[in-house]
Amino acid sequence: MQTKDEVLEQVKATLVELFEIAPERITMEARLNADLEIDSIDAVDLLDRLRRQTGRKISADDFRSVRTVGDLVNAVHAVLQA
Amino acid sequence: MGERQTYLWRILVTGACFVLFGGGGLILGLIVFPVVLLLPGGPARRRARTRGLVQRAFRLFVATMSGLRGISYDFQGRERLGRQGQLIIANHPTLIDVVLIVAFTPVPACVVKAALFANPFTRRVVRAAGYISNAPTDSMIELATGALRSGDTLVMFPEGTRTRPGRPMAFHRGAASVAIHGASVLTPIYIQVDQPFLHKTQPWYRVPPRRPHISIEVGADIDLEPYRHQRPPKASRQLSAWLLAHYEQELGESCSYNASSNV
Repeated sequence: MQTKDEVLEQVKATLVELFEIAPERITMEARLNADLEIDSIDAVDLLDRLRRQTGRKISADDFRSVRTVGDLVNAVHAVLQA
Repeated sequence: MGERQTYLWRILVTGACFVLFGGGGLILGLIVFPVVLLLPGGPARRRARTRGLVQRAFRLFVATMSGLRGISYDFQGRERLGRQGQLIIANHPTLIDVVLIVAFTPVPACVVKAALFANPFTRRVVRAAGYISNAPTDSMIELATGALRSGDTLVMFPEGTRTRPGRPMAFHRGAASVAIHGASVLTPIYIQVDQPFLHKTQPWYRVPPRRPHISIEVGADIDLEPYRHQRPPKASRQLSAWLLAHYEQELGESCSYNASSNV
């Protein structure tokens, strides 16, 4: 079972790799859209990547309320618990 | 007929065509499709039938509008439309262009604005034909990609809305993303109208002084291979920017019509 810190590291690595975001900008409070410039189309690519990484079925609905990196970490963590 | 009479005649024809379009939508949605849906066959057969009917209705509509001299048009390269998994993109200068494309593309699916799923004249038609709503973006991308992968021909308008005359064109990145993820081939259509007609900010009765002519040209397929070897977020941005530049080049001045004739 992964801890939230481990999930954060994984999410961070994914964001850096997929969007070329500087790692220091990725904090739990950072807003995906306003701070990291990830829009709704990027979000589709991000979910696609997370599905492949986790091997889990992730529905877009589970992530609709995600606003910050912290929300994303919680959502991924919840999916891994399920 | 004198110029004044043909002008009044075209206002009449254009208005009648709106009534015909709305009435046709109601007849198809309330009477024809419920019957067609009773015919045997799985969901795929049904969808193909409803899309075929929409196409015939649109052909009839185009024949009526041009037969009554409300518009004239030419359409070059039709034979290259309708391939499996083909994504067709087009600029969108007038309300009528989508009707022309659907009328002459072998049974396409289409991404349409979400409002058509709420409009009483169109909602049953877009639903029965399995058209895809443009919102929310994430489900649009997934449905559009899925439709292409299952072999559908899909029509999208990357501008997301009709071109606003006098303003630069802007492309929504969704079309590029769908192309990269799902299309077997990407085919551009270039549409030009010789005068502003039924565009975004123009009421239907503002018909142009001369009969509007709509030119539709199917362009050469666009190679997607280079974009598939990159990270998707970057690839979709690059493709979208390339497409916009490409359209501006192909359409030249007319992509924003002619600002001086836009009153």
